[in-house]
Amino acid sequence: MNSATVKHANHGQSTKRPSLWKDTWKKIRKKKLAMGSLYFLVFIFLFCFIGPFLSPYAGQSVNSAIINQPPSSLHWMGTDKFGRDVLTRLMLAGRISLTVGLASMVISIILGSALGAISGYYRGLPDTIIMRLADVLMSIPGLPLLLLMGALLSELKVEPEYRIYLVMLMLSFVGWPGLARLVRGEILTFREQAFMKATEVLGLKDRRKIFSHLLPNTVPLLIVVATLNVAGAILSESALSFLGLGVVPPAASWGNMIDSANSLIDFQQRPWLWVPPGFAIFLTVISINLLGDGLRDVLDPKMKQ
Amino acid sequence: MLLLFSDGGFTLKEYIIRRVLISIPILIGTSFLIFYLFALLPGDYVDSNPSLTPQRAAELREFYGFNEPVIKRYFNWIAGIFHGDLGFSFQYQQPVTKVINQFIWNSFIVSIISLVITWIIALITGVYSAMKQYSIFDSFVTFFVFAAMSIPSFFIGLLLIKIFAIDMNLLPVGGMIDVGSNTTGLAHYVEIGRHMILPVFILVLLGTGSLTRYVRTSMLEVVRQDYIRTARAKGLKESKIIFKHALKNALLPCITLLAFELPALFSGAIIIEQVFNWPGIGQVQLESLNNRDYPVLMTFTMFLSFLTILGNLFADVAYAAVDPRIRLK
Amino acid sequence: MRKKFTKLIIPFAAASLLLAACGEQATNNSNNTSSGQSSKVASIKDESLKAASPDSVPAKALNRKDTFIATLSTNPGGAFLPNFYKTGYDGNVSSPIFDGLVDINEKGEYTPKLAEKWEISKDGKTYTFHIRKNAKFSDGKPVTSEDVGFTLSILHDPSYAGDTDISRAHIIGGEDYKKGKAKTIKGIEIVDDQTITIKTDSVDVQALSILGGPVLSKAYYGKGYHFGNLDYLKDLYQKPMGAGPYKFDKYIPNQEVRYVANENYWNGAPKIKHFIYKIANENGLQYFQAGDVDFAGFTANADNLEQLKSVGFANIDIYTGTPISFISINNKKEYMKDAKVRQALNYGLNRQQIIDTVYQGYGEVANIPIAPVSWAYNDEGVRKFNYDPKKAKELLDEAGWKVGKNGIREKDGKKLELVYLSAKSDDGLIPIAKENYKEIGINLKPEFSDFNALVSKVDKGNYDLASFSTPMIMDPNDVVADYHSKNADKNNGYKNPALDKLIEEGQNTLDQEKRKEIYHELYKEFADNPPIILLNYRKILNGVSSRIDGVKQDPYNGILSSLTEVDITK
Repeated sequence: MNSATVKHANHGQSTKRPSLWKDTWKKIRKKKLAMGSLYFLVFIFLFCFIGPFLSPYAGQSVNSAIINQPPSSLHWMGTDKFGRDVLTRLMLAGRISLTVGLASMVISIILGSALGAISGYYRGLPDTIIMRLADVLMSIPGLPLLLLMGALLSELKVEPEYRIYLVMLMLSFVGWPGLARLVRGEILTFREQAFMKATEVLGLKDRRKIFSHLLPNTVPLLIVVATLNVAGAILSESALSFLGLGVVPPAASWGNMIDSANSLIDFQQRPWLWVPPGFAIFLTVISINLLGDGLRDVLDPKMKQ
Repeated sequence: MLLLFSDGGFTLKEYIIRRVLISIPILIGTSFLIFYLFALLPGDYVDSNPSLTPQRAAELREFYGFNEPVIKRYFNWIAGIFHGDLGFSFQYQQPVTKVINQFIWNSFIVSIISLVITWIIALITGVYSAMKQYSIFDSFVTFFVFAAMSIPSFFIGLLLIKIFAIDMNLLPVGGMIDVGSNTTGLAHYVEIGRHMILPVFILVLLGTGSLTRYVRTSMLEVVRQDYIRTARAKGLKESKIIFKHALKNALLPCITLLAFELPALFSGAIIIEQVFNWPGIGQVQLESLNNRDYPVLMTFTMFLSFLTILGNLFADVAYAAVDPRIRLK
Repeated sequence: MRKKFTKLIIPFAAASLLLAACGEQATNNSNNTSSGQSSKVASIKDESLKAASPDSVPAKALNRKDTFIATLSTNPGGAFLPNFYKTGYDGNVSSPIFDGLVDINEKGEYTPKLAEKWEISKDGKTYTFHIRKNAKFSDGKPVTSEDVGFTLSILHDPSYAGDTDISRAHIIGGEDYKKGKAKTIKGIEIVDDQTITIKTDSVDVQALSILGGPVLSKAYYGKGYHFGNLDYLKDLYQKPMGAGPYKFDKYIPNQEVRYVANENYWNGAPKIKHFIYKIANENGLQYFQAGDVDFAGFTANADNLEQLKSVGFANIDIYTGTPISFISINNKKEYMKDAKVRQALNYGLNRQQIIDTVYQGYGEVANIPIAPVSWAYNDEGVRKFNYDPKKAKELLDEAGWKVGKNGIREKDGKKLELVYLSAKSDDGLIPIAKENYKEIGINLKPEFSDFNALVSKVDKGNYDLASFSTPMIMDPNDVVADYHSKNADKNNGYKNPALDKLIEEGQNTLDQEKRKEIYHELYKEFADNPPIILLNYRKILNGVSSRIDGVKQDPYNGILSSLTEVDITK
């Protein structure tokens, strides 16, 4: 999750890296919550990527004879309004939602934290350029941009299956300003603190100062942003589908499974339509968060004592 | 350090003036970028009504000047602004300023109240959660935050309407006033207030979660800092440590978040407007995008853009003001 | 509900995720769900269900002694002036305020309204309207032929930016007036205060609906009019005044429109003093349950019906509407030129299954492009595309499309892959159509966009199939006129001289009996050489509170024709 940042954090000590990883692993194994979350994430990946092969049902075939049936021994999580097996669709949907959620999070964290750090550390001209660019990007409303992208990808005849990844990339490209401003704010305060003055006295290189000393301090913030980002990406993916950008039905994603159960009658009488995907999102997000918290505690130098 | 100061440091006043001056070309650049972006979108206003005969559609395109080059349309638009004319809405058949003015305050009132409540709750739970990290309270808050995120908010909205409006008949179903109501004065405000309860509740529910996470994290960081340890070692009262020293520093990153709220105050919340039938600007913006009603869309987008830049400026100034160590450069 | 903003007509319109401006009944957002117990939904009959417990009306509603409230499903724009408004919902808002010379009845036939009668000359080109002596605007002034003349004149004004295409009325001298070559329109002759004669230069069935449309008061709307400048009217958009049963009272933007009974109404003032359109968006059911409104319309499906039935005081009506859902086929594509391919696309799609799943049975398979409620409906001897994958395969074989690798058909090295455009947020057709078409060797590639982008793609011919549905259809010509070769470049590229001839005949014949026969022939040709895939006619589902009496509904007028008769009984 935040491994990207961790790697950067230790850029200056590449020779020691293996031992640090081992060290981290040793410590985190003692953290029950973090380990539980890790196991769960591994499980859900296996569930989604291998599970569908074990299912007797195809996720897309319509069967109007068994519409909206509650869970039974045949269909463990019931069937949806097209008579499709909810469990199978849940697994297939997870492949897309997990990839989309994680990929989008990693890209925006890398971009946002790097630009924010440069801006906050160097200030002056780089800061002006990056932050004013952020102003412009934050001013452009997202929806028209997405509509335009949908049209563009369709003109370019990009296969619908791949569009969602391009879109996530694009969203991260325009979505970095928020995170960059947050990171910059943190860096601005940290760079004036005593430990940074020490690095100046030691004559460390800028790159080392930023990646080994400043950015690691923003890790807690990055963890919050990362978890919120995963949840946001998974949920907003379904909205993107309808702008011609996301997965196209009948392919499933957790977001579009929830969205298609959209009436009070579904909510009250057919919980099997929305509880499974809702629960999957909930557990995934909370696991990432707990794992992130655990990592933070392990990595935080101030927690060592 | 002293040497660094001479390296282009500014006083607060100089800094603000400089930022304002930079903002002008940025706003103009943004306006062109957005105008061009809208022009690139497939479809135009005339496409909204496919019932038009092809002949009439062609006449209307000519009439509205849709066939002219983008640059020319842009300069027409800019020229209009300098004459104080923000344009005439195709869809609403009213001046754009009137359209926006009709709806923006409905959105603002819900947003501002939710904002205040959200921040109060998030600050309290965030701080408390951080103080009692890994306690039952903290776990419960964490659980709740992520659960609220995973349940679609329109479900919660529908459920609340069913319970409070239909079954218990305590609160209105939606809208801003009772149907056919003619109340005035205080009674009118009370009526609007009653209609705001559920929308505000949902907005607070949606907003508190992520903000609580930020406050909690920020707070956790601060209490681990040396000066807090020092304060504790000195035997200062815990509450004094938290509220006098820790909170102030923990709130610094939140300034950036607060700045993001400035445009959000005026942009309207589409979910709320849909579930509770609230006559806000969010729906209007969405409709104007769908119908390619560019006079409305352009004006409103530029207004939000202006607020975004203003919010970011406030944040930067506030940073410098709160933490004197941050030099302006 | 939404009356005749479709005086001007209708190539196609669609419901979409973000859009509802085309006079579509807004979907209740719950449209695509199913109650699910039963596997096979029997064909649903039009019916009226009496309220189960008529005395359970909420107190809130009972306290409302002189007000009738109906829902409006989507936000209006705010230009409440016939011919000038830009969204169909402004048309709904205007309807109770403005009466036209002619009306339309429950079968789609024209009947007298402000005009007590009219005559059409033998050659079918001259119309004479006789206005009722007691027809008055709500300000008490009589409706005269001057007003009718004025209404038609401003539609010819060069600065007129509304959606009505007046050229379809073919008034003699209209073009000259528009170009400024003539001071008056030659074809409009005011005989006396109550009589007006309008001469046209061709026989066209569309003329009557335009000529007989809502009448504007010259004294009110003509004050300050100069040729070439209609801008002054904008100030009157939200102060409408007409000769309809109700007077405009107040518009609270995106919340409600209030009306007061017009004491001067020619047919007697409405029984209920106040009428309100409550803009309910997606909350129609909740407002109805709570007693905030007396009448609400819903997307017809089993879920909504079940929920409506649970409201004890609801009198429920289900009937077939005039709109038709269909899939536009891009005939400009070389591979769509062969009628066999288009027939195969029709045979290969299980439309009943789509209705059963998407509308939970609340729809009817469409075989001809007119709803069964119309006088023109006759599907005897018309080819019906009952689901028949075997036949579809044969037709594709005959057309030279042979099954290739992966079961997808090929011809001259090209695979049979079709792009299907949709703007519906939850297009339930896709899973079924994709499977159906795969079975006959076609790879369907669905694509989403917003509605305006979809229209623009269709205009550019950048698609194979696209989902549409018509708004209300007043005349059979409204649907088929689009498939005349002269519209081929603009529309879907379909060219069929045999159909052209029938379309022209249908449009240029005024006698209804003769038109019936023409359209019967036309529908046969339409099915043999199909320009589109017809999907279904939709049902309309409405609930009326049991405290209200006298509500009559029909597919052409909604509740509007009975607005003066509606009364409160409790």
